Amino acid sequence: METYEIYSLTSVILFTIGIGGVFMAAHFLRKIIATIIMGAGVFLCFVSLAKRDSLSFADPIPHALVITGIVVAVTAAAFALSLARRIHKLTGEDTFADER
Amino acid sequence: MDILIDSLLAILTIYLAFRCMLAKKLSKAVFVFFAFGLMLALTWIRLDAVDVAIAEAAIASGFMGVLFLDSLRDFSPAFSENQEGIEKTLNHSVKKPNSFPRLPVISLGIGLVLFLLISLDAIWKIPQGGGMAAIAEEKLPESGVDHPVTAVLLNYRAYDTWLEIGVILMGLLAVYAAGGLKQYRKPGLATAEDPLLRRTILIFTPALFLFGAFLLYFGKMGPGGAFQAAVLWGAIGILLHLGGWPIFTGIPRRMRQVLVTIGLGFFLLLGLTLMATGGALFEYPKTSAGFLILVVETLAAISIATALTAVFAFLTK
Repeated sequence: METYEIYSLTSVILFTIGIGGVFMAAHFLRKIIATIIMGAGVFLCFVSLAKRDSLSFADPIPHALVITGIVVAVTAAAFALSLARRIHKLTGEDTFADER
Repeated sequence: MDILIDSLLAILTIYLAFRCMLAKKLSKAVFVFFAFGLMLALTWIRLDAVDVAIAEAAIASGFMGVLFLDSLRDFSPAFSENQEGIEKTLNHSVKKPNSFPRLPVISLGIGLVLFLLISLDAIWKIPQGGGMAAIAEEKLPESGVDHPVTAVLLNYRAYDTWLEIGVILMGLLAVYAAGGLKQYRKPGLATAEDPLLRRTILIFTPALFLFGAFLLYFGKMGPGGAFQAAVLWGAIGILLHLGGWPIFTGIPRRMRQVLVTIGLGFFLLLGLTLMATGGALFEYPKTSAGFLILVVETLAAISIATALTAVFAFLTK
């Protein structure tokens, strides 16, 4: 089993954990963390396939895309966090649970 | 031996992701998230992606973790000023236990397992295309830098990087818009009086600055570059802010605006100038490509660092 194969399989599992977390987790913070884990799964898939296609160095284009992706994901998460904190401040709620 | 390390790392990463989702306390989830990010950084190194590892450890684990930690303050009842709302949610959660939705959970579980199997199969069958490594290597002497990832980021696909700096600026504006109008608190945070903290921060500031500058310049021939340097410089701003020097709010408003937009603006101006002189957008002349890339990277790093500090300063008020 090659190195990249192990991480390719890991990436799928991470993505599934993340997507499960987005649905199952109640708290806003956990949902945001779950989306970041989903993103990590996608990035891991990219980079592991870059390793497979390496010649004298690993394929640099997925690497560049992943660096860009990490920064964009963090920016989006920061935006989500500020939204969550605003919701919390205005309503006192920290989940999407129905009001009963 | 290799396989042993790789499988161990993979299992740890998956385990930490699980713990992160299943931890009972929110604070525990956030700390496990830190560990998850660092484990992922080790994974990138195993995959020969050192640039990605630095970016992951610094931005995704470090900066994001700090933001999460800070949000904990808002969301935990002890620190929150919104006591009334907290009591409402507490009462609400007491009533809930017997209304556990069984059917949705089971169907979601089955769906996730199916999804996992299908994606595993799909990943396994991705054909070996060879990728772009050969082309990137062939054109490397013309790009002005010696490191392929930097060449891709700032030369081959400079348009993407330009847009990314724009995305960061948009993110900053969105955070401002969602955060509502607030006054910057003048005296800084509660920890500001701690003399040990202030001293340590003062000692670390020049070291961080120097290391950031080194990463910026070293991006020319090895792992490093604008984003990694920007995060280190942003860390300086955040540390100073935590130590009670509100550096970002201290400088004049116009200056702040210039600092945040200079990376995007200069990059665009450079692109337009290159177009006006007969090239394509971001097609650097071969002789001065290295120098132009360094200037663009420096300005972009300044902009990103300022934006990160601004996000932090705005969210922690």
